[in-house]
Amino acid sequence: MNLLSEMQRDALAEVFNIGAGRAALSISEIVGDEVKLSVPSIEVKKSVEIGVETLPLNNERFGTVHQNFTGPFEATAMLLFSEEKALEIVRDMMGSQMSLEELVEFEQEAMCELGNIILNACLSAMADILGISLNSTLPCYTIASCTELLHTITSSMDQDYVLVLNIVFTSVKRESEGQLILLLSSASLTNLIRHIDHFLGGI
Amino acid sequence: MTNDIAKKLLIVDDSKVSRMLVRAQIVAVHPEWTILDACSGEESIALVEKGPPDYCIMDINMPGILGTDAAEKILEKYPSIRMVILSANIQETYQSRANALGAAFVAKPVSEKSIALALNHFQCPK
Repeated sequence: MNLLSEMQRDALAEVFNIGAGRAALSISEIVGDEVKLSVPSIEVKKSVEIGVETLPLNNERFGTVHQNFTGPFEATAMLLFSEEKALEIVRDMMGSQMSLEELVEFEQEAMCELGNIILNACLSAMADILGISLNSTLPCYTIASCTELLHTITSSMDQDYVLVLNIVFTSVKRESEGQLILLLSSASLTNLIRHIDHFLGGI
Repeated sequence: MTNDIAKKLLIVDDSKVSRMLVRAQIVAVHPEWTILDACSGEESIALVEKGPPDYCIMDINMPGILGTDAAEKILEKYPSIRMVILSANIQETYQSRANALGAAFVAKPVSEKSIALALNHFQCPK
């Protein structure tokens, strides 16, 4: 779907690249390791067109952190990790000497904190660069199957569009792939595009 | 190399928007400069071979080789080029790598402030 022009897509990708760079610094300090970032890719789809192929993480179950953002446009931001990677990240955050039982106990809190850092870094970069203000709800972490996740995305009746951002965070210790999805209503997408055009017009 | 007035700057970034922002900020201060751009590390190396610039502003996170790897190759052959690594990847590892190359590290986003830092580095004697 070509809802975004090449320039609009480029601008959004660069905005998220800056956000991901900020997030990578925080993550590297938390997990004590260098974090490499892939070049972000962006795709806009109708939520009803979302299928398993949209989720390049090839997993049956996901660790998902989601937060709602409000302001000139409203969006639900979701950060996806494969379930086993999520536990590995928690292990890096909390210390490798922890038992599996202890890790599971901290998983909810640790993943919410990690998601909060990444999602807010990306959305804050967008707000700063576009000159807008966004508020966020508290992060919420759930483990969901691929089917459950797709159902959540496609059943958001008031959010017609899905902006799929794919950034791979890779630690030197182990590859940890994360995917960011923004759910937007058509009105919100129009508002987002309007702000991007305003930003581009200012160059 | 060109004379003191008409300097040549190479901007390397895979984002067209980013290249446009850098160009606009530079032109506002130095409208007399010649500005070239490249969208990858590989393209920047090829452009430098055709005629080395005085200055280079290089992103890190691009398709193909990393900007820091491209900068290293360029500086090995043309050590007099003043290099600035301009990146969103602000981790200490990447800042140290830039400094080890003799380049300055400047954090994105592209702004009047970040470009002023780059220009300061260009004006410092090597």
